Amino acid sequence: MRPEALTPLQIDALRELGSIGAGHAATALSQLLDHPVDITVPEVKLVPVSNVPMVFGGPETLVGAVYARLLGDVSGGMLFIAPRGAMLTLIDLLRNREPGSTQSMNADEEALATHAASVLISAYLAAVSRLTHLSVLPSPSAFAFDMMGAILQVATMEIGMKADTAILVLTSFVDERAVVDAALFYLPDPESLDVILGRLGIV
Amino acid sequence: MSSSAGWESCERRARQMTVGFLSGLSWGDPNANVIHVGTGEFAVAEHPAILMTPALGSCVGVAVWDAVRHRGGLAHVMLPASSEATIDGNRDRFACVAIPHMIEAVAEGTAQPRLVAKIVGGAAMFKASSNPSNVGERNIDEVRNQLRLLRIPILAEDTGGNHARTVELRLDTGVLVVRSYMYGIREL
Repeated sequence: MRPEALTPLQIDALRELGSIGAGHAATALSQLLDHPVDITVPEVKLVPVSNVPMVFGGPETLVGAVYARLLGDVSGGMLFIAPRGAMLTLIDLLRNREPGSTQSMNADEEALATHAASVLISAYLAAVSRLTHLSVLPSPSAFAFDMMGAILQVATMEIGMKADTAILVLTSFVDERAVVDAALFYLPDPESLDVILGRLGIV
Repeated sequence: MSSSAGWESCERRARQMTVGFLSGLSWGDPNANVIHVGTGEFAVAEHPAILMTPALGSCVGVAVWDAVRHRGGLAHVMLPASSEATIDGNRDRFACVAIPHMIEAVAEGTAQPRLVAKIVGGAAMFKASSNPSNVGERNIDEVRNQLRLLRIPILAEDTGGNHARTVELRLDTGVLVVRSYMYGIREL
């Protein structure tokens, strides 16, 4: 299916799927951090592949990112992104330290961030899997710490081989004290849309 | 290079640059002469315009310059060859399509031997990348291959590694400015 051809009902279904997945991921995150975490209403964005690095305003924004491909019945990718400051705060919370203690990303911090993000991604995919009765598993996660534009670009590379438009199902994590500022993207490959929407009964 | 040393310098630079996240801040140079080249597209211009493309990851920026006419082109190549994909849309994202097109547009029928090229990008952004195909490296190979077929010499390159780069082509001097968190600003 071409992403441009999605009907509003189908986009709503993807948003709902994102909402359920991200809800589970937020629960996992709040358990990891021992700190309540909420989610925003997911957004489904259809973005021309040529414009992907520009979608969030700052292609050169420095972010930490964890990426996993999907394995199993459908293809696609999951991407966890947090800007540098929020990534360091997350690591402080994971280590049970005062926010501001961690000042730089080294091998330990990378490993910690990668593991935490894999837990979120697995929680998200488990929910998607249960809802659609499809087997959806994450590949081993990979870490990057660089410009957001380039990271989004690489994450949507597989889509660029098949379509002109990328679908981003985006959920932001929020909390009362505004310390957790991160986002989780579900990036379905175009050919997986038929399968997922078919399972949800909205073709 | 050891990873921690690299990240330290990256960190230092991060503190010097402003950061905004998912905020929809309008981004770009206030200079109206800057032409943005989108992913999988190319643009051709003459001095005093500046061609730029942000955040090259595994993509490759291919700059071609004509020293006499102060004219040049910049392509943001996303994938190596169109045989690997089935899309009917914009095919300029493939090295094998975009490079011949761009060079034709830059040369406009004038002598091609004047043209020179500089290439940047083709990084492997994610460590322990779950993408075994290594698109970055294949992009670089295909770009070199296309330029060789068209007999355009590559004067300089900053390719590979695992960091993102932003490039700007100055059409008066042919200087290609490369920005990255890892190495700051470099001129090719």
